[in-house]
Amino acid sequence: MKRALALMLLGAAPTAALAQRLDAEVDCKPTKHDLVYDCRFVLKEAKTGKLVSGAELAVGADMPSMPMAHNVKPVKAAPSAAPGEYTARIELEMFGEWALKLDVRKPVRDRIVKKFDAREPSR
Amino acid sequence: MDEFAFGVLTNIALFSFLALSAYLLLIAGEMSFGQQAFFGVGAYAAGIGTAMWGWPLPLAAAFAMALGAGAAWLVGLPTIRLRGLYFAMATLAAAEMFRILFELLHYRREIDGDLVGPDGTQGFRGIRWVLERGFEPHEFLALVTAILALVLAGFALVARSRLGARIRMVGEDPELAAVFGVDVARLKLGVVAAAGALAALGGALYAHHNTYIEPRNFDIMLGVHSLAYGLIGGLGTAAGPLLGVLIDIGLLESLRVFQGWRMVVFGGLVAVLLIVRPRGLLDEAVVNRVKRAMSTR
Repeated sequence: MKRALALMLLGAAPTAALAQRLDAEVDCKPTKHDLVYDCRFVLKEAKTGKLVSGAELAVGADMPSMPMAHNVKPVKAAPSAAPGEYTARIELEMFGEWALKLDVRKPVRDRIVKKFDAREPSR
Repeated sequence: MDEFAFGVLTNIALFSFLALSAYLLLIAGEMSFGQQAFFGVGAYAAGIGTAMWGWPLPLAAAFAMALGAGAAWLVGLPTIRLRGLYFAMATLAAAEMFRILFELLHYRREIDGDLVGPDGTQGFRGIRWVLERGFEPHEFLALVTAILALVLAGFALVARSRLGARIRMVGEDPELAAVFGVDVARLKLGVVAAAGALAALGGALYAHHNTYIEPRNFDIMLGVHSLAYGLIGGLGTAAGPLLGVLIDIGLLESLRVFQGWRMVVFGGLVAVLLIVRPRGLLDEAVVNRVKRAMSTR
């Protein structure tokens, strides 16, 4: 709390390591279960496009049309064989437009937000 | 507690600002479906302040509050003499106007090689002041909770003051209040501006918690919920809307029992409460009973 207040009041400068930005390519495919998706993420540095391997990544989701109300519990993404690639299975609450929140802890801290349209399958 | 729990608690605290904003208008006798507009104004203003102009968050939040109050005052000027449903509809229309303005807002600058700023329907990414300063989730929660506690202390002070009595008097019976010399329109306009500033403060914190905002964040659903929280939790005390937020986000959402059906349950709960307890769970009668019980101890 004290640290948070100090950061606020002093208007501290950004930490260089935290100022690095990442980007991601996202590809989610529906599974046989409704609202469950297998997602693949390719993590890279935003400026150079260099793939980022060995990252610690958690994926959560929020509905833009109902912010703060749908708290989908973040799941850890597992690294796959390809460099910079991670996979995670996400379970949403309803069909519609979602904002996937990719929270990166390592090697740098960042949050990447990507839109995802969860469409109801035609039956 | 894990990061998810901190995130849910932060959302409860952030939603509380909006719920308190709608509550302030409810006790002044007005029902606004448009407080999400000022939440949005605050989010965009503070985001532009920190991400594009390099301001520290406290300055950006103050700017957001001033802009939120100004925007609410401007909406209030032509609408404050409307009553009941007409005021509610006017605020809803104004909020939609603001949402469309957010969709039309394109203001981007290159900062450190990245284009940053509002980009219409594509949203506003890179509101990273909090992230780049290494705030941990529990630290940001502590900060938001501390600010919310200050706001609640402000509500408690106003509730005991002459101003608080005047606001409730205007809410109960504006004609009678006018007879007692209260300038009803002026007081209501002040309340509208204060409620706008409060919503904008919540929006400023929300933008920095989320790092990304878009016009759809500020549509009618957010306004309906913020209003419903006061009506569920009760209008007798500022703790009422907080109870409403806790019931919805804390209980219905977090328990996951009603997954997929939550909105149906929430809507049903609002309908039932409006019939059996029209002024919410913590209404004036309950609050007075509690006060009496405490004073006799």
